[in-house]
Amino acid sequence: MTIKTFAVAAAISASLSMTAAAQDVVIGLSGALTGPSAGSYAPAIEGIRLYVDKVNAGGGVAGRKIKLIILDDQGEASKGAANATKLISQDNVSLLINSSLSSTFAPMIAATGQAGIPLLFAASACPKEVYPPANPLLFCTTAFASKFDSQATLDFITKSGGNVSLGLVAMAIPISRSEIESAEGLATVKGMKVADKAIIPPPTPDYTPFATKLSAAGANWVYAWAPWVTQVRTFEGLRKIGWNGRYIAWAHLESESELARLKDPALYAIGANALFAQDLPVQREMQATAKAAGATYPASQMTEGWIAGMVLEAALGKAGPNADAKAIQAAMQSLSVDTKGLRGGPIEWTAANHFRTRQFYRIYRWAPTSSAIEVVQDWTAYDVK
Amino acid sequence: MQIVLNILVLGSIYSLISCGYVIIYKVSRVLNLAHGELMMVGAYLLLTTASAGWLGSPLAAIGLALVLSLTVGILVYVLLMRRMTGESVLAAVLTTIALGILIRGAVVLLWSAQHHYPATKLHIANPSIELFQNAKLSLISLILIGVTVATYAALFAFMRFGRWGLRMRATGQNALLAAQRGVNLHAVYALAWGISTFTGAVAGMLIALDSGLDSTIVMIGLKAFPAALVGGLDSLAGAIIGSIIISASEVILIQHFNPLLSDAVPFLILIAMLVIRPWGLFGTREELDRV
Repeated sequence: MTIKTFAVAAAISASLSMTAAAQDVVIGLSGALTGPSAGSYAPAIEGIRLYVDKVNAGGGVAGRKIKLIILDDQGEASKGAANATKLISQDNVSLLINSSLSSTFAPMIAATGQAGIPLLFAASACPKEVYPPANPLLFCTTAFASKFDSQATLDFITKSGGNVSLGLVAMAIPISRSEIESAEGLATVKGMKVADKAIIPPPTPDYTPFATKLSAAGANWVYAWAPWVTQVRTFEGLRKIGWNGRYIAWAHLESESELARLKDPALYAIGANALFAQDLPVQREMQATAKAAGATYPASQMTEGWIAGMVLEAALGKAGPNADAKAIQAAMQSLSVDTKGLRGGPIEWTAANHFRTRQFYRIYRWAPTSSAIEVVQDWTAYDVK
Repeated sequence: MQIVLNILVLGSIYSLISCGYVIIYKVSRVLNLAHGELMMVGAYLLLTTASAGWLGSPLAAIGLALVLSLTVGILVYVLLMRRMTGESVLAAVLTTIALGILIRGAVVLLWSAQHHYPATKLHIANPSIELFQNAKLSLISLILIGVTVATYAALFAFMRFGRWGLRMRATGQNALLAAQRGVNLHAVYALAWGISTFTGAVAGMLIALDSGLDSTIVMIGLKAFPAALVGGLDSLAGAIIGSIIISASEVILIQHFNPLLSDAVPFLILIAMLVIRPWGLFGTREELDRV
C-alpha cells in the first residue's frame, strides 16, 4: 500500500467513524459509584450500563447506538455539578441521568435547566418536582415514593390487626427524616400509637442503644424507611436484645439477599420492585446478561437500573431517529413502559406527572416452612395525583 | 443493666480503635488520620480470607487476616511513612490523610460497594446472650469486650516489660537519645505501625462479624478519634477512660434525650477538653506542646 492509498483509506475510515459517532445518541450519567453511599447506587448504575450494552448489541434504538458516559460523583454535590457541566458542555449529552444522593440534585437540576436537557432520576430519590405538577425537564423511575411508601406500609400494618404500638426508624438525612415524620403524622391520623422514633446518625458503630430505646418504649411494630444499612442493623440490634415484635422496612436493592440471610418471618420488606424469587423471564434475562458481562454486582440488585434502561430505550424509540434533547424530552412527556413484571404495572408519564400515574407495592418476608421468600401481600395500587 | 452493657460494648469498640491512634502518637508523634481506613482494610482482609475456601476453618481465616493486617501496617511505614522521617510532623499527618483517601478508593475498587457479611461466610453464629435479667448482648459483642480487655492487658505488659516495648517508650521520650543508645528507630516505628494497624484491624473484624461490612465502617474510626484525644494521645489508660466517657455520653443521650445529639457529643466533649485541658485527661503536657 502506497502512502497515498494509505492516506485515502485513513481519511475514508475517519470520515465513516465520524459519521457513526454523529449517529450515536449521547447520554450522560452522574452517580455515586464510590463513596460511603455507593452500595445503594453502584449496582443500579451497572444495571443501566448492561441494559444499554444489550440494546447496542441488538442494533441500538431507532437505528442509533447509545453512547453512555458514566461519571462518578461519590454522592458529593460539587462533583455532581462538575460532572453535569462536563457532560452538557463537552460531551453534548441529549439526556442526563442522576443516580446519586439528593445532595447532588440542586446543581444538576440547575445545569440541565439552563441547557434545556431532560434529567432522569434513576435509583436516586424522586424529587418533588417530578410529582404533579411536574417540572417539564425532570423525570423519575426510582421505586420509592415519598409519602406513598408510608401510606402503603401503615395500611399493611393496620390490616395485620391487633393493638399497634409503632416504632419508627430513620437515618439522620433529610429524605429519610421527612418520610418518617410524614409516617408519624399519618400513623396518628390512623389512630396508631407511636411509641418512639429513632433518628439514627449515619456513622453508628453499634445500633443496640437505638434498639434499646425503641424496645423500652414498648414498640411491637417498627417501620424503618432509611438506607438499608440503618434498617437492617436496627432490626438486628432489636433482635440482639430479645425484642420479639414485627419489623417492616423498605425493600432496597439488598433486601432479597438480606431476607434470605436473616430468615426471620417477622421481618417484612415492602417495595415496588419484584424480587428475584419470582423468577420472571426478564429476571432470568438480567441474570444471564450480568453473568455474561462478568458483572461486579448480582443481577438481583440491578432492577432499578434495568427499569431505567427500559424507560430510556422507550423514550429514545419514541423520539425517533436523529432526535435531539428537545425531541427526547417531548417523547418523555407522554410515555408508557411495560416493565415486564419488574413492577406491578407500567411506568406511565403524562405532561403533569413524571413520577408515574400509579404506584404499586408488594410485601415480602421469609417463610420458614418453605425456606423461601414469600409474598405476604401482592401488588396493591395507589393513584398518584 | 441493658444501658450498662450498651456502654461497655460501645466503649470497647472505641477503646480498641483508639489504642491504635495512641500507639503511633506515643512512639512517633504522628497523628495517624488513616487509622479508620487501615481498620477497614483489616475487616476487608477478613472478608477475603473468609471467602477463600482453602483455609478450612474460621480461626485460620481470622488468623491469616490478622497476620496480613500486621504486615500491612509495617508496609505502610516501610514504603511510605519512613520517607517522612526528618520531615515536619504536619507533613507526616498530611501524608496519612492522603493515604486514607487512597485506601477508601481502592477498597471500593477491590471489594465493591456491597454490604458483606464475613460471619455468614465463616458460618459463625451470633446468638443473643442474656448476661443479666433483661440485659442481653450478642456473642460477638461479648467477645469484643473480652478481646478489648485482653488487648489492653497485652499492650500494657508489652510496653512495661517487653524489650521492644521499652525501646518504643524510649523512642517516644527522646528519639535522638534512643538512637544514640543503639535503638533501631525504623524498626521501632515499623513495629508501632504494625501493632496499631493490627489492633485497628481486630476492631474492624469484630464489628464486621457482628453487624456486617461496607465502606462506611471507616467513619467509625473517625468517631473513636475524640476518645483518644479526650483520654490523652500518649496514654493507653487514657484511651480506655476517654472511650468510656464518650460511649457513656452517647448511650445516655440516645436513651434519655435526643438520639441525634449522640453524633455530636463526642466532638463537643473533645472541644471542651481542648479548651480546659488540651493534653487530655492522662496525656503528658509537654508532649502536646511539641505539636
